[in-house]
Amino acid sequence: MSFLEVTKQLANGFGVTVVIFLITLVVSLPLGLVITFGSMSKILPVKWITKTFVWIIRGTPLMLQIILIFYGPGLLFKMQALPRLTAVLIAFIINYSCYFSEIYRGGIESIPKGQYEAGQVLGMTKTQIFFKIVLFQVIKRIVPPMGNEIITLVKDTSLARVIAVTELVKAAEDIVSMKMIIWPLFYIGAFYLVFSALLTVLLNYVEKKMNYYSG
Amino acid sequence: MKKLIALIMGAVMCLGLCGCNSNGSDGNSASGNNTDWNYIKNKGEAIIGITYYEPMNYLDENGELTGFETEFTKAVCEKLGVTPKFQVIDWKKKEIELKSKTIDLIWNGLTVTDERRENMAFSTTYLKNRQVVIIKKDNAEKYTDTKSMAGASVAFEAGSAGEDAANADDTLKDCKQIGCDAQKDAVLEVKAGTAEIGIVDYTLARSAVDSDDFSDLMILESVQLMDEDYAVGVRLEDTETLAKINQAIDELAKDGTLLDLAKKYGVDDIYAL
Repeated sequence: MSFLEVTKQLANGFGVTVVIFLITLVVSLPLGLVITFGSMSKILPVKWITKTFVWIIRGTPLMLQIILIFYGPGLLFKMQALPRLTAVLIAFIINYSCYFSEIYRGGIESIPKGQYEAGQVLGMTKTQIFFKIVLFQVIKRIVPPMGNEIITLVKDTSLARVIAVTELVKAAEDIVSMKMIIWPLFYIGAFYLVFSALLTVLLNYVEKKMNYYSG
Repeated sequence: MKKLIALIMGAVMCLGLCGCNSNGSDGNSASGNNTDWNYIKNKGEAIIGITYYEPMNYLDENGELTGFETEFTKAVCEKLGVTPKFQVIDWKKKEIELKSKTIDLIWNGLTVTDERRENMAFSTTYLKNRQVVIIKKDNAEKYTDTKSMAGASVAFEAGSAGEDAANADDTLKDCKQIGCDAQKDAVLEVKAGTAEIGIVDYTLARSAVDSDDFSDLMILESVQLMDEDYAVGVRLEDTETLAKINQAIDELAKDGTLLDLAKKYGVDDIYAL
């Protein structure tokens, strides 16, 4: 199998990796904020239910969550299983939303009280204060830890292969077992490296832009 | 604020889209009287659990699925009047896949074992394969029979017939055993020198030692391990499905189609019907 053929086949797997990455990111970023509001809620039941949920999701392996979401319906309730990729996406979105939510919470709680008070003096409502004053300062502060999670997400996508979703690692393993050639297994490292390099550049850019909001 | 709402809406729609492409046709009606063969017949397709490996189920130059099992499955399904839908699975989870109905049949050089009989029913045996020992060519003088392998590391696919074969041998069962994720990983272990002995099935070992990357490995023909029967795996309760498959296999064997297929993919030396 030539270099070009292997690259072509790996590109298909890489496509799946990118899809998992992008959809998880786009959905988890706002969903994480919703969970943050839940765990910072003044209504105690909401607060504790959210905190318990975050504890369960952060306290169990993502791999187990993927397996449960895919095989659970059929094994436990005799229901039709979700399509494989959908099951993976649901597991990733829930998992990453929980991690993001805790980063958001840390960011929000780090904003000094004076910022809120200044908003009140100017006669702004609570919502206005949050979205016009607090949010962008929070975003500025959480870019480095979020960068960590986002780059971890790139590599976590390889967990999708536990339910036989052909992402990049599985695509390479398939070539190894079909064609009995070994090098594709090492070659995929380059895909991940280039991908995370692009993200690092992007994150650095965002961080620079956000310097405007340093408070 | 508006942007944020737009973002959330976009995300929700994304989720909605993912949910929509599920095959929502008659999945929920699977319970009740609609079990066994009717379940598959009403769907119009049988989901076949496979893994990629030559010469059973693999992708050709154009990326099309082909192989002995692929063509065999298609021929049987044609007789049954259903479309086969091939689904690559994680081999270790084949029992779970079958039970949770994410696949309907396992058709991928599946070895009949007593343990597996508790979880699935088997069709007629159509190939008689065997487990073989692979070693590095450099070790050809060191390892001549299983007794000489005492103290070596033995790699096989966890839960496979290779593991059974290792445990059935007096010497190998006391060796340091390495249960790999897949048969190809057992071959990789031997190649990388992290295990001295690999136990895999003959068809896979053959295609490995014939390839360039693994040409430094060899099959140790002097060691005889267990024979194994290849059959189709069916859900235990799907007795009607099993009967239909057996009848179709029988017909394909009688008219010579199956033997022709075996010759085409070079497995006629282990043909069993």
